Amino acid sequence: MLTIIIATFSVALLYFVFPEMIEAQTAKTFVTHSGAIIKTTGDILDPVYLPQTVEFDPQKYLREFSYGRVSILDDGRTLREFTIIAEDDKIMEISPGVFYNTWTFNGTVPGPTIRATEGDIVRIHFINNGKRFHTMHFHGIHQANMDGVFEPVGPGGQFTYEWNAAPVGIHPYHCHVMPLEEHIAHGLYGVYIVDPKDGRPPADEMVMVLNGFDTDFDTENNFYAANSIPFYYQHHPIQINTDQLIRIYVVNMLEFDPINNFHLHGNLYYYYPTGTDTVPFTFTDMITLSQSERGIMEFEYTYPGKYLFHAHKVEFSEKGWVGIFLAKNSEAKVE
Amino acid sequence: MEVKNTSKAKLVASGVIPFAFLVAMIVYIFGPGSDLIDLGVSLPEITIEKVEFLDSEIVATIRNTGRIAVDVVMADVNDRIHPAAIEPDKHLERFETAVVRIPFLWNVAEPYLIGITTDDGTRFEKEVEAAAPSLEPSLELAGFFAIIGTYVGIIPVMIGLLWLPFIKRISKSKYHFFLAITVGLLLFLGIDATEEALEVSKETLADSFNGVLLVATVVLLSFLALYYVSERLVQNTNLSRMTKPVAVALMVSIGIGLHNFGEGLAIGAAIGLGQVALSTFLIVGFAIHNTTEGIAIASPLAKGKPMIGLLAGLGILAGAPAIFGAWVGGFVYSPFTAIIFLSIGAGAIFQVIVILIKWLQDEDDKKLSSTAVVSGVAVGMLVMYLTSILI
Repeated sequence: MLTIIIATFSVALLYFVFPEMIEAQTAKTFVTHSGAIIKTTGDILDPVYLPQTVEFDPQKYLREFSYGRVSILDDGRTLREFTIIAEDDKIMEISPGVFYNTWTFNGTVPGPTIRATEGDIVRIHFINNGKRFHTMHFHGIHQANMDGVFEPVGPGGQFTYEWNAAPVGIHPYHCHVMPLEEHIAHGLYGVYIVDPKDGRPPADEMVMVLNGFDTDFDTENNFYAANSIPFYYQHHPIQINTDQLIRIYVVNMLEFDPINNFHLHGNLYYYYPTGTDTVPFTFTDMITLSQSERGIMEFEYTYPGKYLFHAHKVEFSEKGWVGIFLAKNSEAKVE
Repeated sequence: MEVKNTSKAKLVASGVIPFAFLVAMIVYIFGPGSDLIDLGVSLPEITIEKVEFLDSEIVATIRNTGRIAVDVVMADVNDRIHPAAIEPDKHLERFETAVVRIPFLWNVAEPYLIGITTDDGTRFEKEVEAAAPSLEPSLELAGFFAIIGTYVGIIPVMIGLLWLPFIKRISKSKYHFFLAITVGLLLFLGIDATEEALEVSKETLADSFNGVLLVATVVLLSFLALYYVSERLVQNTNLSRMTKPVAVALMVSIGIGLHNFGEGLAIGAAIGLGQVALSTFLIVGFAIHNTTEGIAIASPLAKGKPMIGLLAGLGILAGAPAIFGAWVGGFVYSPFTAIIFLSIGAGAIFQVIVILIKWLQDEDDKKLSSTAVVSGVAVGMLVMYLTSILI
């Protein structure tokens, strides 16, 4: 009897000794959202990309505009030709370690930012290299048979879309094959900008597509971002200059969630809904956008420093839709 | 000799050949380059087995319960992404476990959803109804659990044993009635432990463990092992008529002891999970409930010589495991071990029931249909049910 009790007691004692045996071998550290530094002997689970490790570079996409192959027609008008290839078998690392089957225009989500001037002829050579039917449906003004709805393009098929660029503004394009939500949520979308003939005032221009990924297909987004990669602009701030006009073309392509929004810190922006008017609609730091709602935001920073921008639906910002502008003194000021 | 050798070789060959074919088939199906059964999609599955709330940190113990190895890539609290650490590493083979540490300033008594995302973007979550600080193993707390275990296990059993002089003085049929009560009590406890094991497996164990079959297997193995031991024990003591009751009482004590380990586990886990009000109830309930277990041990001994030392020893054997159960439940609770212990307890109890019924049959010369036996079993079940409402 006594031996049984002693044996069980000594086994029980082991539980108290055990924690001491787990000692740090090779400690790594990471920083929490509240700034605490934590050590671990294991692996770190933190969605931080380096510019070298990110598969889709949001910094590059931000200021990259595709003007197409330009030729001048006999009547003096400008023709802009684009080749867009749709694919639906790409596996993309959308957040560190998270692999998701994206459906892409020219290999990326979002697809290329197509830019033309009002009155240009835009010609899109569309090739479907996917396994499913796809189309390109552009928002804007065009003929009914150029709408990318009733002309589904099968696997290996092609289609040429053509129209006169109109109206001035910022428009989304996306695949319009059913089930529509599936095709858009997988990444078949991009931005189409029509500049006014006289142009806009010079500015540091950038494109932000507000999007998300539902990686477990429960019709709720697991990740949110401006330009696909969660938290990227937070870890790699967008560098801007003070006293310089910043112009952001913002399109909300989020699926599943009825709204998204854009809040800017330490500043307010002039907002041009859909970019169709040259007179700002409002001066604010917070605009709420429904699906495919978009507009142009213009602002200037006076004071240098780091300024956050994010969804003020903070659930989205805590799941990746958050970034930082790093405003530096413009060269004119540094003497 | 020659003939015998070849026949032996034939025997071995006839046993090995089918087995060799089975191995060959498995190698063919799973071997390299084989895509014979590459059908369907294997989905990852992570089960969050335990969530602990430490000082400004939430710690989740997770297990890969799917059919494929996975990488864990993200952790979240209430569906909001947080930087975290996974130890020993993020790659989990089948059934491998890891600990995910999420630095988080949690609030007491608030509910939390803990989420884990794997490399294919699938998110698994577990809800904690109310956060409570986890118990850090300390000698003080161990002492606290020991006291609770004593209240719940040892003292009630000892009190129950005090009925021995009473049982001694009553007539044979009334004695059988008390033995039958013991059967009823144990039947209830056995069903109770099985139900508890099934409940824990349903709530916390991943499907891949086949919870119901796990419980059935362990109950049966425990039953068979103890049945075998007790048969040997009772048979070997057959020489002296006096020690058979002792042997039966010993087996009853072991069975009840294993059962009380499960009860201790429940109490320790309840305190560990911060359900303090519930555990006070549990303690009072178990204490009343367990007094009846003393009767179960006392009954077989009633016709023998009173041996105070032996009785005390049996009481401790039956009651003390509650202390160890409370330690394990409070400090190192895992649903898997809880199910195993509950099932072992249930098997042990069913085994004791069989011994008692056999004994009653021997004593009774009847086919267990006397008024004393039937009413005893019924009363035992009823008493247990009524006292169980207190828990």
